[in-house]
Amino acid sequence: MALDLEAIRADFPILSRVLPSGKQLVYLDNAATTQKPRQVITAISDYYEQYNSNVHRAVHTLAGEATAAYENARITIADWFTVNPDHLFFTSGTTEAINLAAHAWGKANLHKDDVILLTEMEHHSDLVPWQMLAEERGVELRFVPLSDDNNSLDMEALESTIDEVQLVCCVHTSNVLGVRNPIERIIELAKTRGNGGKGAAVLLDCAQAVSHDRLGFDTMGADFVALSAHKMCGPTGIGALLVADERISEMTHFMGGGDMIRETWLERSVYQDAPHRFEAGTPKISAAIGWAAAIDWLGQFDMEEIKEHILGLARHTAAEIGKLPGIIVYGDHGDDLGSGAVSFLHDSIHAEDLAHFLDAGGFAVRTGHHCAQPLMRKLGVTATNRASFYLYNTREEADAFINHLQGVIERLA
Amino acid sequence: MSYGEGNWPESLQLVIEEFSDVFDAMERYEMLYEFASECDPLSEDLWCEETRVHGCQSEAHIICSLNDDGTFKMIGSADAQIVQGLMAIAQKAVNGLPPSDVADFPVTFTRELGLMDSLSPNRANGFLNMFTRVRQDARKLAEA
Repeated sequence: MALDLEAIRADFPILSRVLPSGKQLVYLDNAATTQKPRQVITAISDYYEQYNSNVHRAVHTLAGEATAAYENARITIADWFTVNPDHLFFTSGTTEAINLAAHAWGKANLHKDDVILLTEMEHHSDLVPWQMLAEERGVELRFVPLSDDNNSLDMEALESTIDEVQLVCCVHTSNVLGVRNPIERIIELAKTRGNGGKGAAVLLDCAQAVSHDRLGFDTMGADFVALSAHKMCGPTGIGALLVADERISEMTHFMGGGDMIRETWLERSVYQDAPHRFEAGTPKISAAIGWAAAIDWLGQFDMEEIKEHILGLARHTAAEIGKLPGIIVYGDHGDDLGSGAVSFLHDSIHAEDLAHFLDAGGFAVRTGHHCAQPLMRKLGVTATNRASFYLYNTREEADAFINHLQGVIERLA
Repeated sequence: MSYGEGNWPESLQLVIEEFSDVFDAMERYEMLYEFASECDPLSEDLWCEETRVHGCQSEAHIICSLNDDGTFKMIGSADAQIVQGLMAIAQKAVNGLPPSDVADFPVTFTRELGLMDSLSPNRANGFLNMFTRVRQDARKLAEA
């Protein structure tokens, strides 16, 4: 059954916004953050209007309601990703989740001359925390290069080094190229050949994948999965690190403070078990409730259908703008497993100039290095424009974007 | 001399009048785009860390100096045309003035151009950074 886009769009008040330019908003910056349906907005405002209270350790009614809503949100989110709720640690987003893995697991388990294998496709959030760890601990960083087509990872290069690796960190779906990496194969190689055959740990950056994939943590075989709520209709400011059972006991506490201790004396503390041990301070209560509401909302749809719709728009757009004079499209959009992100560049109109002319037409696209400067260097550019689609975008919007882009090129080139 | 609303250098006043006739965002950007060709450029060979204006998404570089008659001169270039168009307008605003006047030149002229409304925060901040740099350099030149 086709998605009822009219009904879907009716749930997003922002999509009917008219911009100061007088143009109707066409939101094509979904890889940066998705819009929020009114059900998410209402869940957050209900919390603040009806039962705002800090969670845990209080006996009054509001605290009980807030605690129940917060911990139920954890269960809803954990169910969606098929992970034990105790193995889901709330963070501020994907970046903090990867930093948590680096500090809480990396520092305790990686030593001088150990090897972390990253890729040239990584977002800065999956590069910088490991650079910091490497600098501090003398850990070696290695990088899987792109294949000659610049669209995929060079798996031969990965295989040539995997035996010496203790940790593999890989982006599930590239925020620039829109391609999905062969994570099943990468995990298999890490587990069977990594660390001299003893098996390497695997961390996946799933920030882009959560928009349209049911990840199924229980069957993936990854040790750590980092993700953000705001890429799947949830609020900004919350995400999670999903952790495999056998890795939890290998982790040490990272941030200290309230809510993560069982008992504290002046000189020492005894810590809580997971997940609270890794969630110091007042938690992101409203954001967790909002994220659960987003999952409830997404749950009414078939995610395969959503993915097909998003990829269909991306494929159509990539094919059509690729025909426009001077436009270079990056990534492989024939890939049935990719994403809704289409990065492109004009050969004579600067990316930022183009973005302003697109904005003047009401089209919100992202411009810049997309927090992936090493990948930009590999592609030989400093920035690209990126249009990225989500379930509420329509074919009419995609066509209007293509036509507007064509008009801008005709005007300027 | 102090400048402000209704009292701008003639070259800038002409630009303000040109922009005041335009209400469409596309046209406004197109005008800025075309202004880029009027910029007194800084050759790319001279671009370096000292000339770079921070805060712009694109590469933008300026050099401020004095003409033989002691008046202020800014030259600059950017890889994005809209940024270079903004530089061209900034040149119309301040080039040829005494450096002490440039040091206190109000950035509010951008409001009269309607530019701050149509520029993204990144661009607006980049422009403000550029203009702050122009004023700082002018002060140093005035005090030298």
